[in-house]
Amino acid sequence: MTHYIARRLMLTVPVLLLVTVIVFTLINMIPGDPALVFIGGEAGQDAVEALRKQMGLDRPLFVRYVIWLNRLIHGDFGKSVRDGRPVLDVLLLKLPVTVELAIVALTVAWAIAIPAGVLAAWKRQSVVDYTATTVALAGISIPNFWLGIMLIYLFAVNLRLLPPSGYIEPWIDPVRNIKLMIMPATVLGTALAALVMRLLRSSMLEVLGTEFIRTAHAKGLSDRIVIARHALKNAMIPVATVMGLQLGGLLGGAVITEQIFAVPGIGRLAVESIFTRDYPMVQGVVLFSAVAIVFVNFSVDVVYSFLDPRIRLVEDKT
Amino acid sequence: MKRSLLAAAVILALLGGLASAQTPRRGGILRVGLNADPPNMDPHQSTAAVDRQVFQSLFDKLVDVDENLHIIPMLATSWTITNGGKTYTFKLRPNVVFHDGTPFNAEAVKYNFERMLDRTFASPRRFEVILTERVTVTDPLTVQIDLESAFSPFLAILSDRAGMMVSPTAARRLGRDFAREPVGTGPFKFVEKRPQDRVVLERFDRHWDRGAGLTDRIIFRPFTDGQARLANLRAGELDIIDQVEPTDVPDLRKDTRVKLFERDGLGWQGIWLMTQGPPFNNKALRQAVNATIDRRTLVRVVFGDTATVANGPFPTGMLGFDAASNNRIPERNLDLARARLREGGQPSGFAFTMKITPGRVEQQIGQIVQSMAGEVGIRVNLEIVEFGTLLSQLAALRYEAARLGWSGRPDPDGNIYNNFVTGAGQNRAGYSNPRFDTLLDAARILTTTEHRRRAYADALAIMNDELPYLFLYWPKEYKVMSPKVQGYVHNADGMIRLRHMWLSP
Repeated sequence: MTHYIARRLMLTVPVLLLVTVIVFTLINMIPGDPALVFIGGEAGQDAVEALRKQMGLDRPLFVRYVIWLNRLIHGDFGKSVRDGRPVLDVLLLKLPVTVELAIVALTVAWAIAIPAGVLAAWKRQSVVDYTATTVALAGISIPNFWLGIMLIYLFAVNLRLLPPSGYIEPWIDPVRNIKLMIMPATVLGTALAALVMRLLRSSMLEVLGTEFIRTAHAKGLSDRIVIARHALKNAMIPVATVMGLQLGGLLGGAVITEQIFAVPGIGRLAVESIFTRDYPMVQGVVLFSAVAIVFVNFSVDVVYSFLDPRIRLVEDKT
Repeated sequence: MKRSLLAAAVILALLGGLASAQTPRRGGILRVGLNADPPNMDPHQSTAAVDRQVFQSLFDKLVDVDENLHIIPMLATSWTITNGGKTYTFKLRPNVVFHDGTPFNAEAVKYNFERMLDRTFASPRRFEVILTERVTVTDPLTVQIDLESAFSPFLAILSDRAGMMVSPTAARRLGRDFAREPVGTGPFKFVEKRPQDRVVLERFDRHWDRGAGLTDRIIFRPFTDGQARLANLRAGELDIIDQVEPTDVPDLRKDTRVKLFERDGLGWQGIWLMTQGPPFNNKALRQAVNATIDRRTLVRVVFGDTATVANGPFPTGMLGFDAASNNRIPERNLDLARARLREGGQPSGFAFTMKITPGRVEQQIGQIVQSMAGEVGIRVNLEIVEFGTLLSQLAALRYEAARLGWSGRPDPDGNIYNNFVTGAGQNRAGYSNPRFDTLLDAARILTTTEHRRRAYADALAIMNDELPYLFLYWPKEYKVMSPKVQGYVHNADGMIRLRHMWLSP
């Protein structure tokens, strides 16, 4: 097992290195001169040139990459070109917000998806199944920004039950923190739930058709026990992968939802940094997101090997 | 008798009520919704317009502008202009201190100018004060600024970021990091800034104006989405919001639960035509496109009455506005357009690409221009380009036509000089006309309003014939507030001056 984990961990190193190359190259390929965007074109050409020099943009791309990578290895993500804040400080400031939103959103998603998926498979082609499938389709189809605005108008402006948007740290005002999280988490959660529900439904159907389930039934076990103890556990294996990917995606920031609900997380940081051509910040954010996904995937693989010992054994043999 | 006594009592009671309603109340937290996250808190490094909203409370300027765009004293109590407009001598306000306790005096002013002019600091302000030849400290409260040449817009420039005084102690200690811990002399001092979340300011008790800084705190929060911004105001989470979508204005006018402030702004909007390459190096083709546009219809369809039809860079209320050429909105004239096409050697029309930034309004304008020009065979291809990219392409003159405007400055010079003079930083059209340049240079030197007005009128006549830019409209300036917000003065520059504002219970 340790051998397996160590090998998987080793594999992430070249992946991460490749990520740095892609992140750096792509970001530097975005059209638009960061110095000009920063200075807004208000100053003359000489001022823009001076700023380009100050930002190190006069050097060749490769040299800039090596300098950046070297600093990165030493834990220095660089400084924001907007106001000189260390990129890492800003990322660490945003991380708790994004992590909180991700956890609450996934909780909402799973709380909807797991019972709905199981019910839909169990009561296949019944009203329950059709309802769950329709709701899931709606969840996928309704755009986040629309649902977000609608929720704000209904619950914040008309009913005045929830604050419309913003963020407050849980240690300052826990009740308000939860109230502020409800709507963005619902918007994200319903969209994510749809996918998990659909996947769980088909995975459950597959499992329910297998022989060991028939054996369980033959032993006289009740439907409830067959589903909860036998079917669900097996059906969760492919679903776990998707859930992991969803978590990784959310850690990279829920761009639109964060924008609408003014949640100051990684997603908003990414958007603002791209628009202002804050290269060090964009590089930091994208790299962080990539690392989050690599790390979550790695964790899922480890969990997976616990859920399904065959995976570990096959890997070890090769 | 009884009745008149009763009437008198009622009147007295009413007057009493009015008087108490007008008495500013101290305390409370003012929550302001901005349209973007202010990126940089150093006025000498700032380039984003939204930064200036926060600066109004954090910093004092040497001078300010009132609602009629007249220059009024702030840190400078008086000034004289001598030596043919080349020497400005400012008398400074006594007993002013920065938030860090550093005294504000002539030395501080001198330091601020040196900071802006420092090449290595690369301040975007450098260009605004570039004519400064020498700053002399005459005595602790008198500072003399000598310019290389007369420059009439100088005071107006000092009413904005270039006139905001930063603490020399803090600026020396922090360098470029000053943006993270800004220190000014304003009625509110900096507490914290969380990117994309909030900027918090707190009353500065040692401010020179005892009547300023009425609320305990100010919290600025960015909402890039106009709908979300408005929803927060309506839900009582914000007290003031900056800018609203044109489509929301009719409802807001009728809404008694909020106060809508509306007035003409300072900016201009329209279409850049790149004059250094085909097709628009051909003046007749520029004129042809112009003749196809029905400005009144365009503005009515896209903006209703939330923008004013324009044909020049000087919106209402600004010096130069009443120049005849600026006031005359050209009527749509397809015969003229066809004649100009023939004259330009393209009798059956031509094609060009117009770049626009993303957004509903931009798309609508693009499509309207496209269909209007199409009627004489001019084919407009619309290309949507992200803002930063568009800026770069415009600066490099790598485009044919582009939809981009200017936010406006209080002095007319700020609305035309850097945008259209040969080789100027914002001259996106690559436009050049020596006579036009001479007129605008003259307007900078001329000191009487009437002379300047005449110079601008002549310059505009040239521009309206040569058309490096098709002016289309002047956006109006909007603020929306909760009814409990008091003391707001709606200035054309769009800046929310919070220093004398207060909250009624």
